[in-house]
Amino acid sequence: MNAPIIDPLQGDFPEVIEEYLEHGIMKCIAFNRRGTLLAAGCSDGSCIIWDFETRGIAQELRDKDCVSGITSVSWSKYGHRILVSAADKSLTLWDVVKGEKITRTSLQKTPLQARLHPGSSTPSICLACPLSSAPMIVDLNTGSTILVPVSSSPDTGNGSAPPSRNKFSDGSAPYTPVAACFNKHGDLIYVGNSKGEILIIDHKNVKVHGVVPITGGAVIKNIVFSRNGQYLLTNSNDRTIRIYENLLPLKGGLKALDESSNIPYDVEGVERLKAVGGKCLALFREFQDAITKIHWKAPCFSGDGEWVVGGSASKGEHKIYIWDRAGHLVKILEGPREALVDLAWHPVHPIVVSVSHTGLVYIWAKDYTENWSAFAPDFKELEENEEYVEREDEFDLMPETEKVKESEVDEDDEVDIVTVDVDSAFSDSDMSQEEICFLPAIPCPEVPEQQDKCVESSSKLVNGHHPGSPLSDEAGQNGQAMEHAASPIDGMYNSDAEDDGGTRLKRRRKPSEKVLGSSLRR
Amino acid sequence: MASNTATAQPPPYRPYRHLKTLTDHTRAVSCVKFSNDGTLLASASLDKTILIYSSQTLALLSVFSGHSAGVSDLAWSSDSHYLTSASDDRTLRIWDARSKDCVKTLKGHTDFVFCVNFNPQSDLIVSGSFDETVRVWDVKTGRCLHAIRAHSMPVTSVHFNRDGSLIVSGSHDGSCKIWDATTGTWLKNLFDEATAVSFAKFSPNGKFILVATLDNSLKLWNYSTGKFLKIYTGHTNQVYCITSTFSVTNGKYIVSGSEDNCVYLWDLQGKNLVQKIEGHTDAVISVTCHPTENKIASAGLDGDRTVRIWVQDT
Repeated sequence: MNAPIIDPLQGDFPEVIEEYLEHGIMKCIAFNRRGTLLAAGCSDGSCIIWDFETRGIAQELRDKDCVSGITSVSWSKYGHRILVSAADKSLTLWDVVKGEKITRTSLQKTPLQARLHPGSSTPSICLACPLSSAPMIVDLNTGSTILVPVSSSPDTGNGSAPPSRNKFSDGSAPYTPVAACFNKHGDLIYVGNSKGEILIIDHKNVKVHGVVPITGGAVIKNIVFSRNGQYLLTNSNDRTIRIYENLLPLKGGLKALDESSNIPYDVEGVERLKAVGGKCLALFREFQDAITKIHWKAPCFSGDGEWVVGGSASKGEHKIYIWDRAGHLVKILEGPREALVDLAWHPVHPIVVSVSHTGLVYIWAKDYTENWSAFAPDFKELEENEEYVEREDEFDLMPETEKVKESEVDEDDEVDIVTVDVDSAFSDSDMSQEEICFLPAIPCPEVPEQQDKCVESSSKLVNGHHPGSPLSDEAGQNGQAMEHAASPIDGMYNSDAEDDGGTRLKRRRKPSEKVLGSSLRR
Repeated sequence: MASNTATAQPPPYRPYRHLKTLTDHTRAVSCVKFSNDGTLLASASLDKTILIYSSQTLALLSVFSGHSAGVSDLAWSSDSHYLTSASDDRTLRIWDARSKDCVKTLKGHTDFVFCVNFNPQSDLIVSGSFDETVRVWDVKTGRCLHAIRAHSMPVTSVHFNRDGSLIVSGSHDGSCKIWDATTGTWLKNLFDEATAVSFAKFSPNGKFILVATLDNSLKLWNYSTGKFLKIYTGHTNQVYCITSTFSVTNGKYIVSGSEDNCVYLWDLQGKNLVQKIEGHTDAVISVTCHPTENKIASAGLDGDRTVRIWVQDT
């Protein structure tokens, strides 16, 4: 992999907008496990899958039954399935490669967030957080739903599903959506309720095992795990983001919970739950902006859990705050004046993707600086001047024997050209399942430029070069034997210099040639 | 494999022997490549056509014509469904091997396009040209994603590494550079010397780069340390951009063409020449190894115009 070449001196978080993606009005986004595909739910009910490498559309999932806005998108573990929740109260499960709908369920209330079970590659259950109702486990095959308890008060310990109600048992406001998420392997659900408590629930038995109260008791709006499952983040109404360390083991967390009976048996009820909770999560850090007291939107971790990012849409701004895990604010990214709606950090690269309310998806990446030390292969970049202390015999006229000492690698060493290094960032992938890293790229057949659908769906073109302009005298051919006509996107590089005497100097205009987004990058 | 020596000894090297000569091209053959699934063999020629053979029967299956000038290089997509070709008519074409149509023409280069390759995901194509640039194209839309002013002389070779994150480019200006495939930014100079680089390619695991330079040598470099580990000599390579490749189906070898009309095989570790295959009547410009069988195809220039198939008996 290219890991050894990337300069470790530069910080590992994005700095500028590199590009933006445009297709209809997108509302929510999710990366697949490796960050090679980005799924975006649109306001017209369709879900677009972008190939993140080429920044082009790889697949479009569209169902004529669903025309209302998508509220959330969730990938299955290896990228085979996508779950989409929409404003018409439906949940739709799609097969990614075939682009076909597998099943569709309707709930009683609009789900604001729906997450597929992260443990299996073809999950059939999901966790849905509907508007004005407790979160529920939905079996996508049968459509049955089981409500998840949202309170630590007495009705714990039994597996019966309470009847659905408009109000919570503790009488809190019905319209506050309760936040919930799976842990890394999906055996536990962590719920953040409106009393400011984190409940740790075993979803199979619908049993609350532990409670972690948050000081201040403010309503919890978001609850999210880091990718490696070791940290949990909560976002509360008191405008604070809190990071907890997950003390349970990643695999078999439920078993560990059951066995954590160092608690004496006479501790009962809520006290017991709190004691168990204390063994599951430990408060690590709190982040807030004390000056502007921002309500955070869509906070999440970076792929490696080292950074925490939170968005701010207050007063219609598009700001992204980045903290390191120790709590220091390292960067504030400011985007165009379009309120931020959703945010996601790439699982592997220092790239952040944000959605604005106008439906555009902005890609933030590191600002590239030329690394001149890369010019010669054995140059090394130093942070600061180093005094060079020469050896005692450096300037002596030595016989050749000494000098040969530092000759290159032994040429008789075995060279291994076939073994592949295991990528440690994905160490938990079991090779039994084939992961969908990319969708096959089938070249669009060439069509006359005026009707080229590919133009609209591609990412931003430079300098508003209008389609159709260089082609007027060359229109009429189709596809194959075109010698002169360039597709509109290539208009910049119109290479019909063959007969025109090479007077088209467009190519020479830009000394540093990048076709795309040169006005945005660098 | 039967071995008549003690079991501790590796089996003796079995030489490749001639299987067939394909004489369908009417001008010099510039490139031959087996498809990744091993079923097809493609050959490109200065007669502006690309021929597809079945690699089993070596029967000619189809002829792709459409380029208006000679074809210098070609590459298969990972699923063996698409083929891309680089031509002196300054375009690249993407052909569908099953429907036998040209599905896309990629324009943008302003001089001969000399070398081309797909990335392992086959959603990107990288091409190098006499206009000294390296271009990365989106397969689906045919859009040029990056146009990199890579070198100061014609770019002779471009290749993606195993996971598609890096591109290596070699050029007559003597440098071999490594680029980030997603952003098109320059990461590193593998080396920058006086001798023209005629060919560069990553090893199957992406850790090493095999580089041919026009001073009759082939070197295997470790790109992270910037040092070369092995050097293979004995062949002649001072004028043409001769391709070489790794043979891993039966022991590890480096295979290369040569201007003395022979195909050379060296043992990868020992660097010794194990076989020199004669038969062509002009310089051997391109060699390719079948992905699973012990089969090599080689192509000869204008004085020869044939594609010859060599197999190893088992």
